[in-house]
Amino acid sequence: MKIESLKFEGVSFTHEGQEPIVQNVEFDFPMNEILWVKAEEGAGKSSLLQILAGLQIPQSGKYLINGENVVDMSFEEFLPYRLKIGYSFDYGGLINNRTLYDNLMLPLLYHKVLTPEESKARVEAMIKEFGIEKFAQERPAHVPGRIRKLTCLMRAVVMQPEVLLLDDPSVGLGQDSVYIFADHIHRLRKEGWLKHVFISSYDEKFMNLFNYQIIHLDEGQLYFQAVDPEKRVVHL
Amino acid sequence: MTSLLAHIDSLGRSVTKNVEYTARVLLMVYLSLRATIMDRTQGFRQIVGVISAQIYFTGWQALPLISVLALGTGAIILLQSVSNLSMLGGTQMIGNFLIVMIVREAGPLLVALVVIARSGTAVASEVGNMRANREIEALESMGINPLSFIVFPRVLGGIISVLGLAFYFNFIALIGGFLVTRFIQDLPLAFYTDSLMRAFAKEDVLIFLLKNGFSGMIIFVVCCYQGLSVKRSPHEVPQVTTQAVVNSIIFVVVFNLIVTALFYLNQLRSLGVV
Repeated sequence: MKIESLKFEGVSFTHEGQEPIVQNVEFDFPMNEILWVKAEEGAGKSSLLQILAGLQIPQSGKYLINGENVVDMSFEEFLPYRLKIGYSFDYGGLINNRTLYDNLMLPLLYHKVLTPEESKARVEAMIKEFGIEKFAQERPAHVPGRIRKLTCLMRAVVMQPEVLLLDDPSVGLGQDSVYIFADHIHRLRKEGWLKHVFISSYDEKFMNLFNYQIIHLDEGQLYFQAVDPEKRVVHL
Repeated sequence: MTSLLAHIDSLGRSVTKNVEYTARVLLMVYLSLRATIMDRTQGFRQIVGVISAQIYFTGWQALPLISVLALGTGAIILLQSVSNLSMLGGTQMIGNFLIVMIVREAGPLLVALVVIARSGTAVASEVGNMRANREIEALESMGINPLSFIVFPRVLGGIISVLGLAFYFNFIALIGGFLVTRFIQDLPLAFYTDSLMRAFAKEDVLIFLLKNGFSGMIIFVVCCYQGLSVKRSPHEVPQVTTQAVVNSIIFVVVFNLIVTALFYLNQLRSLGVV
């Protein structure tokens, strides 16, 4: 099963006692793109990504994946979609009582997507590629914040999902790690993975490593802005 | 009149709140069991790993403390009962008295209190910190149901640990307590063990399993529930941990009291007293 479309139909979502994040939104997300989710500070970019990941449930409306409303699905019913979605938090999210290596192995072993040997080979190759061998057997609390953030990003892509949702991925990363991570995304996309990438970020330098399109979240509504990859000019 | 109505209103709210809390906790037991059964892709090995870790921390590491507590409790109850029963001329009842006091009543309560103090607090704060650190959301994002990965193994590991600890407590309290007080009292070992064996009935096994099994479940379900109730901030963790301890003690004591009351009512009924 492939994820062919993501669509909001009349979706509204509000955190208790706060302004609505999205209000009665009708939006057909462009597919096979790298989408830069932009909004003002506190407008709800993280919540929007969490709705797309199925981690937040809209109070009303339909969130359609391949035309199927996933809002009312149970955890088990949504699982096949969830396994095709990678999500990285803006902070936190690593399992603290496991080493970085075990954090990366966990989704592969739990869902038995690969044999233990294949999982080990994939994780070890990623650890080498991202240069965190020195910290692999340490727990998150014992490693620098930069390594924690990088591991969180690595875990989001370790399952080689179709949809990748990254919340402020470049914050706290070193410049080298940013390039390595961007290269990794480009390579996986070339290989046919990570077809639909959503990135929420304020870092234009980081975003310029990709050929992105822009989604703007403003006053509870979503707007699409096409971008010319050559000139980086926004066509309104 | 207003004051009386206000009191009734307050009492009603309190009862409703407690009933709602109990219903939510029971719902979590059902959902975690359901999630474990339904989640077909789950790594069984991963869950077994969490269960064995829970048994190690809750059961194995509590053995020294339980040993001291059991020896002390057994010795105290034995000395008091031997001296008092001798005065009343009922030394042959020593076995019945110890089984009732240790196996049925003191054992389950003391073990539960030790487990709440050692492991209940640890579980509530661990799960609370996981929530604050977004580990629970991270598990969900990886397609791992926190109810089957976090709650179920802790509850199952907790039940196994409490049953094991209670068995160990009873054994050490009854045998160790006797040996510790061997130099103070002059009860023959053969008479003592024979009295215990005669007093031991199949109802004791039922009460042992019921009280300790359910105490284990109550403690870990309540502590997981409180831990999961943390919203975002780590400052909530000590608050939910305190609440977990208070609620666990209340639930365990009330449950023990209900089982004891029902058991003795049944005994009185079978004797034709009521």
